[in-house]
Amino acid sequence: MTADGSSHDAFAHDRLIEAVALRRDREAFAELFNHFAPRLKAWLIKSGATPGAAEDFAQDAMLTVWRKADLFDASKARAATWIFTIARNRRLDMLRRDARPLPTPEIDLIGEDVRRPDDILSMAQDAERVREALSRLKPDQVEVLRLAFFFDSPHSEIARRLDLPLGTVKSRIRNAMIKLRLLLEPSEEASR
Amino acid sequence: MSASRNPSEERLLAYAAGTLSPPEAVVVAAHLALRPANDAWVRRLQVVGGDFLEETTPSRMSSDALARAMARIETDAGEAKTPPPLNDMPELPEPLRRYALGPWRWIGPGIRARDVHAPRDGDCRVILLKIDPGRETPRHTHCGVELTCVLSGAYATAVERFDVGDLEEADPDTLHQPRVVSEEPCLCVVALDGEIQLDGWLGRLMQPFVRL
Repeated sequence: MTADGSSHDAFAHDRLIEAVALRRDREAFAELFNHFAPRLKAWLIKSGATPGAAEDFAQDAMLTVWRKADLFDASKARAATWIFTIARNRRLDMLRRDARPLPTPEIDLIGEDVRRPDDILSMAQDAERVREALSRLKPDQVEVLRLAFFFDSPHSEIARRLDLPLGTVKSRIRNAMIKLRLLLEPSEEASR
Repeated sequence: MSASRNPSEERLLAYAAGTLSPPEAVVVAAHLALRPANDAWVRRLQVVGGDFLEETTPSRMSSDALARAMARIETDAGEAKTPPPLNDMPELPEPLRRYALGPWRWIGPGIRARDVHAPRDGDCRVILLKIDPGRETPRHTHCGVELTCVLSGAYATAVERFDVGDLEEADPDTLHQPRVVSEEPCLCVVALDGEIQLDGWLGRLMQPFVRL
């Protein structure tokens, strides 16, 4: 693993989660924490959270990583994908302004309810394909997608940030998504 | 493929990113349970999200962050939450089974509704709507967005037909009078934002009775 925790060590992160699952390996967890917690914090700050709330979010998400490590399956999802989904589920739950302790819909990348095993299998091998597809989008398309993943009210916030009309932002996101779909699943468009 | 019977790309993206309002997320989750291709796409978007997360410039954590995390895992007793019990409608897709349901209420001739006790978001809430064959709801418009997913049966608007799994997004500009075209009643899950405005003299007459 490189000292700066750069993105080339994705497989190393898979092994670290497995070490946590198999041996409750504290050192492995600390390494995961040092890599992902600062990124989770940055993500939440971008979406408008205070640094304190963002840090708590990162702490809670990493505790979930500790708890659920034994559910991790590197053949179904890579470490960054799996941790992103944990954070996504937590974030949706945070948006729940309803005081009642009701669950929000979770995405489960690993569980038994995964309906298309072939597809998910390819998804685990997909990190490179996704990166490749993103590199083939126009820079302004990647930019709106990235922002859309980070902001709570993506359209108006992106429009404000990029100083663009709302309609332009919406069509740019739509076009980026359509292009991404064509790059990643050219044969599936018809069956949608 | 009809774009209009699927969630918009932006809505799928917001669901994947975890930024969709919870009531709308509940309806989208029901749709995804019935549409494996869209479900697979949302999962693939998790790879995109993971990639963006990986590429994010890290923020500095506070100096005791790691120590706090290590202390927490040492004392962690696991997740205390037990999932809520399943509700009384086994025919519902899995994402809806864990929500308690209110009693069926009479809304109008051939129309019943029950509350889904999913998280609200301001005025936006989730209901189940069951409409008998051949019935139509009174013509109406909406203050906010209405998101509908067909769970059984089918309905048609003036322009389009919606079958099981189809999702309709109606906004304030939509004048809406869906009519059930299946031989069985049509069951839908709906995220409803704001009041429904009934249109025409019959609608105005019914307005006081319709508490959706």
